[in-house]
Amino acid sequence: MKQIKKIGFWFLVLFLLILICLPGIWIFVSAFRPNPEILAKPANWIPDRWTLHQFTQMFSINGYVSVPAFKYLMNSVIISSVSTVIAITIGMMGGYAFARFNFKGKNKIFLSLMLARAVPGISLSLPLFILFAKVGIINTSFGVILVYVAMNVPFTIWLTDGFFRQIPKEMSEVARTDGCTRFQAFWNVELPLAGPGIGAAAIFAFLLSWNEYALASILTRTVHSKTLPIGMMDYLDEFTINWAGMCAIAVVMIIPALILTFIVQKHLVSGLTFGGVKG
Amino acid sequence: MAKVELKNLTKKYGDVVAVQNMDLTIPHNEFLVLVGPSGCGKSTTLRMIAGLEEISGGEIFIGDQKVNEKDPKDRNVSMVFQNYALYPHMTVEENLGFSLKIAKVNPDEIEAKVQDAVNILGLEDLRKRKPSQLSGGQRQRVAMGRAIVRRPDAFLFDEPLSNLDAKLRTQMRTEIKKLHQKLKTTVIYVTHDQVEAMTLADRIIIMKDGFIEQIGSPIDVFSNPVNVFVATFIGSPPMNIIECEITKSNDQIMIKLDNDILVHCPKEKIAKLADLKKVIVGIRAEDIVPVKSFSNEQKSLWAFSKAIDLAEPLGTETQLFFKLQNQEIISRMYNPRPVDVGENINFQIETNKIHFFNYETKKAI
Repeated sequence: MKQIKKIGFWFLVLFLLILICLPGIWIFVSAFRPNPEILAKPANWIPDRWTLHQFTQMFSINGYVSVPAFKYLMNSVIISSVSTVIAITIGMMGGYAFARFNFKGKNKIFLSLMLARAVPGISLSLPLFILFAKVGIINTSFGVILVYVAMNVPFTIWLTDGFFRQIPKEMSEVARTDGCTRFQAFWNVELPLAGPGIGAAAIFAFLLSWNEYALASILTRTVHSKTLPIGMMDYLDEFTINWAGMCAIAVVMIIPALILTFIVQKHLVSGLTFGGVKG
Repeated sequence: MAKVELKNLTKKYGDVVAVQNMDLTIPHNEFLVLVGPSGCGKSTTLRMIAGLEEISGGEIFIGDQKVNEKDPKDRNVSMVFQNYALYPHMTVEENLGFSLKIAKVNPDEIEAKVQDAVNILGLEDLRKRKPSQLSGGQRQRVAMGRAIVRRPDAFLFDEPLSNLDAKLRTQMRTEIKKLHQKLKTTVIYVTHDQVEAMTLADRIIIMKDGFIEQIGSPIDVFSNPVNVFVATFIGSPPMNIIECEITKSNDQIMIKLDNDILVHCPKEKIAKLADLKKVIVGIRAEDIVPVKSFSNEQKSLWAFSKAIDLAEPLGTETQLFFKLQNQEIISRMYNPRPVDVGENINFQIETNKIHFFNYETKKAI
């Protein structure tokens, strides 16, 4: 009986796993085969012919460019990393302030930051479009970075606040009696301890920017600033859809995200384990 | 090498007063213990001296310098926390040398000073370990080592032994005492444990609700408590407290110890007690002596018999529990023999060992 229960459990796990992974597998498989085969009925799960055609075209390896994927990739990398660095720097300082200092209206400010995060991004698209067009930063990486920073700061503040709270305040106090200034105590003691948490927050922020579609689709217009998710739409023609191309660009997009997700997961599971303070 | 001086020190949190007008001079090399129940302001006082808590009023001097406005780093005091607060990402030797590294001392000198602390505290084998790999006692020792290396003007201990088990606590207590004798530095030590206070202190300060109740040597506060609070706080088991009526019969002042026990007021107290209706009598457990038969010596004695409610044998002594005026009383029997519940035992008390407190003000008479 126990045996059957166990086997049943693992079958359920397997079933759910397949269900979850199916779209991903389909994208991956489709990226390496010609378009007609993707549309074949009944579905052909294992390609008859593997090809790198979409990738070579995308990155113009044989001289022919279908979609400027490399430019999009670069845009994505620059926009996501710059916005992440800025957001995590601000978030770290903000989070530390919320975790360690008492000031007037602290809870209200914190709440309003969280509420700002609750506004659906897409509802801001029209005002942002008009604003950016007037200021003249529409279709620039700078504009997109600005939006992503605004989007990510409340999130990084919220996360880092939590990580700093986990560090006993005696840590900074003992450092200060040991001769540190407040900043030295932060830099030498609290920051290294919160390091894994801040890293995780940074990766979350990066992924948020990396995957963002709604706002970018309105604020970016040309190759100059389009990110990968928007670039994907280049495969949408008036009468045809290049599914293989879309899947290929999706693979390019997914791989870094997948790697980073693995890293975050590790940090979240291991958590912050301390030995310096009796728990 | 410095004395610490508090002048009119006050701390308020909004309307709540944590420490009230505290005046105190701690001479160089003194081991001062602040003791009191939780919330009495002892930790707040210590944190104000360290500079971790802003002061609401008054002045703090370390050496000859007023340090009110100084950052903790400029006060040259070391603090040992209850939860050790070791830096978890550094090894033992990095923990020890951290303050010197921050002060930009050259590496050779750091090494020498760390080695010195390692020798004093016996941490040689643990130098390369991280705090998570240490036991509670070892962590405590590292925390003390970290305070030593800087040779501060004063050590501040904030309940450093509360997280240790009973056996280790006794052991570390002795080590702290030895350390103080070796280093000859001013120590201010906060605890809620009166045994720690008694054993470690040159001078004890008993605090309650932000006020100093009594300052004195351990023996002094033990034998001459100024009020009921100090009397019951210092000593284990706590001093027996009995609320008694004072009656007059045949021109003699009598104290009603229990419904059927009337005793004479000690001669030297007659003048002070004659006009009172009630008095609080305080007697330490060891002063209530169980005897086979009442002695006829010339000493002034209170003597009575009472049935025992409970006897707790502790090996070297047996604690006898009975009731006077419906209050639980503990007596210590130093030559233990088996005692039955309900057994009538003769007790006698030397009157010069008895404490009297005013019923209204709770102050010693």
